[in-house]
Amino acid sequence: MNLLLVAKLDRYARAINTITQYVRAGKDLGHNVSVFGEWRSEFSWLPHSLEIGAFDFAVFVIYETDDFPELPHLARLLDDIPRERRVIVDCCGRYNDTVQVEHDSNHFQKLDGHHGWEWIEGLRAVSDNILQPTLRPLRGDVRPFRFHGYDPTAVARSYSSAGEAASAWSGATNGVKPCGVAYLGSNWQRWTQMRRFLEAIEPIRDKLGTIRLAGWGWDQRPDWASELGVSGVDVDTTLLGRLRVETTPGVTFDNAISFMSQAHFSPIFHRPLFNYLCFVTNRTFETFCADTIPLLILPDQLIESIYGPEARLLAPHEDLAWKLDDIMRHPEMYWDVVLKTRRHLAQHHSYRKRFQELVTILES
Amino acid sequence: MKILFVMDTRVDRGSIQAAANYVRVAEKMGHVIAIYGHPNPDFPSLRFSADIHTFDYVVFIIEGWRRWMSGLRVPRVLSAVPRERRAILDTDGMYNQAISVDSYDFNYLSEQDRSEWLAHYRLLADRILQPTLAPHQPGVRSLPFYGYDADAQVSCHTSFAKRFDILQVGHNWWRWRQVSESLLPAIEKIRPQLGEICFVGLWWDAPPSRAGGMNFEAAFCVDPERLRRLQIEVKPPVPYTQVIPLMSEGRINVMTQRPLFRHFKLLTSKYFEIVSADTIPLVMLDPAEAESVYGPAGRELALHGGVADKLLDALHHTETYRQIAHEVRRHLLAHHSYFRRVQELVEALQT
Repeated sequence: MNLLLVAKLDRYARAINTITQYVRAGKDLGHNVSVFGEWRSEFSWLPHSLEIGAFDFAVFVIYETDDFPELPHLARLLDDIPRERRVIVDCCGRYNDTVQVEHDSNHFQKLDGHHGWEWIEGLRAVSDNILQPTLRPLRGDVRPFRFHGYDPTAVARSYSSAGEAASAWSGATNGVKPCGVAYLGSNWQRWTQMRRFLEAIEPIRDKLGTIRLAGWGWDQRPDWASELGVSGVDVDTTLLGRLRVETTPGVTFDNAISFMSQAHFSPIFHRPLFNYLCFVTNRTFETFCADTIPLLILPDQLIESIYGPEARLLAPHEDLAWKLDDIMRHPEMYWDVVLKTRRHLAQHHSYRKRFQELVTILES
Repeated sequence: MKILFVMDTRVDRGSIQAAANYVRVAEKMGHVIAIYGHPNPDFPSLRFSADIHTFDYVVFIIEGWRRWMSGLRVPRVLSAVPRERRAILDTDGMYNQAISVDSYDFNYLSEQDRSEWLAHYRLLADRILQPTLAPHQPGVRSLPFYGYDADAQVSCHTSFAKRFDILQVGHNWWRWRQVSESLLPAIEKIRPQLGEICFVGLWWDAPPSRAGGMNFEAAFCVDPERLRRLQIEVKPPVPYTQVIPLMSEGRINVMTQRPLFRHFKLLTSKYFEIVSADTIPLVMLDPAEAESVYGPAGRELALHGGVADKLLDALHHTETYRQIAHEVRRHLLAHHSYFRRVQELVEALQT
């Protein structure tokens, strides 16, 4: 199959890792996957193409309005690829009635100028086949397709046993980790959860070492958010100062795993909207590739269905400080869970499997 | 005829006042004009529709930015209305050669920028309309588009109290050079003889945070300290429904204009709103330009050289200027009413 991925590429955000994995998995499975557009040196490992006629299907990976190509290119795509051979992966739940969860929403008219109805009608104008990376779509005309996946070959450090992992993690065999907690992700609709997280670990702050947040918007509320009156990109610099939290700019997708591997713990938060919609992201899976203990601050339903039953032990629920303390006292028990979860992810959520699921959808 | 305007609807700028007039007047003339979208309480006087298929023509009203014409929005419109039934109203003169006016105001940052714009235009429609009396490019049809709404005329009997001697309503977008080199020196000269002065609009207090990143520092240039020294109050913009009542709170309203628009002789809503208000409208145009729009009496409203003296003259001879404004309104009613504008639009689309 010849598959054309239509997406805006960003080394720091969106689905760049997932797209890279689809190109690789597709090739392994005997398919040809390219990204729509001219070849660019900054994404040199990704094949690009403007030869629309050479492809069987176009898969639009949509986060924002500018994930659609510039109009002249888009017009060619729509002219040359018939509607039934176009698919949309709606990564942010745009193809739903407007949902408001805390400050979060699937439609931000103030930011992109598009109301909810226009997202629905605009996406439907491009394709009838709309996929969402969720366990349970809200709309009957959306198909669930988790899109993102797990790459077992990307695991930063493999261990033959939980004991070996715990020993390395504790610094006995691998040097001391430079960070206690590392979080990678922008401060877009994350502050409520981050605040809760930081306040919860304050009682054991001195046991944790460095806490580092990487991504935009952690050092201060962006000016544009204030100008537009957009909430959900808030920050409390007093709290960050009190807890001696370091903030740094984001890291590129190819450094994400090594960044998280610097820390004993890496929390996985999804924005409130995604928790409500039961969406998964690249980070849902990628964090398990890092040499760290992921903390699953996610809905129980999502934890069980993605990570398997063992992973519940990695969810701190209401007593985060106790959980971290317990992990530090019994790392082997928790690493056993991490290793089992990695195996579960490799078995059920590999990119090879994802790609095959996509092919099944496209051919159905 | 049923015409759908596809435009960036913003409550405090652009062509929204004109669109509201087209909706209202077209209905009286047996036509239907609507704006693409769903009803929105921020725009109480507009009719919206997303049923593209039910319209005979689509007019894209395109100002100086095009991000709103997203890949999410436009394909739906293009697939529903054939090319020969689509037109572009090029309000900001983008369908022109790249030009820099006085090494200051410009329509394009580069030729590459221009070629991307024109690629968009080619995709949308063949028919280009411009709100100017003198198009520069072959193939462009002149369509003044903006007009005078006699129904919106504020009577001196019902008008609000005059809180300001001088009002300037408009955003600080490529206006600073005209304001700082002509208007402010004049005000400075006669400041003790003037009462309250107010500039209403965006970016008179500070440029937007994103100005630098957009390579548009010059467009938003402002010296808030100089305004403060001259005791010029700065207020945020008001919705389009409040523009004419607000202007009526000033004894004098001054219309400033960006150089690019003057170069291309592009009309805007402001040309006519300022005359609908109960105020003395003074326009920073040369007398010939003013006459071309406002008629012979319009020459007297031109604020072109001797600005300070003109401001004082207007304040001291209110009745004389009221008579001039009255003459101008009669001219506008005869030549620039929205009835005439709707007819011109219908003709332009049918041609």
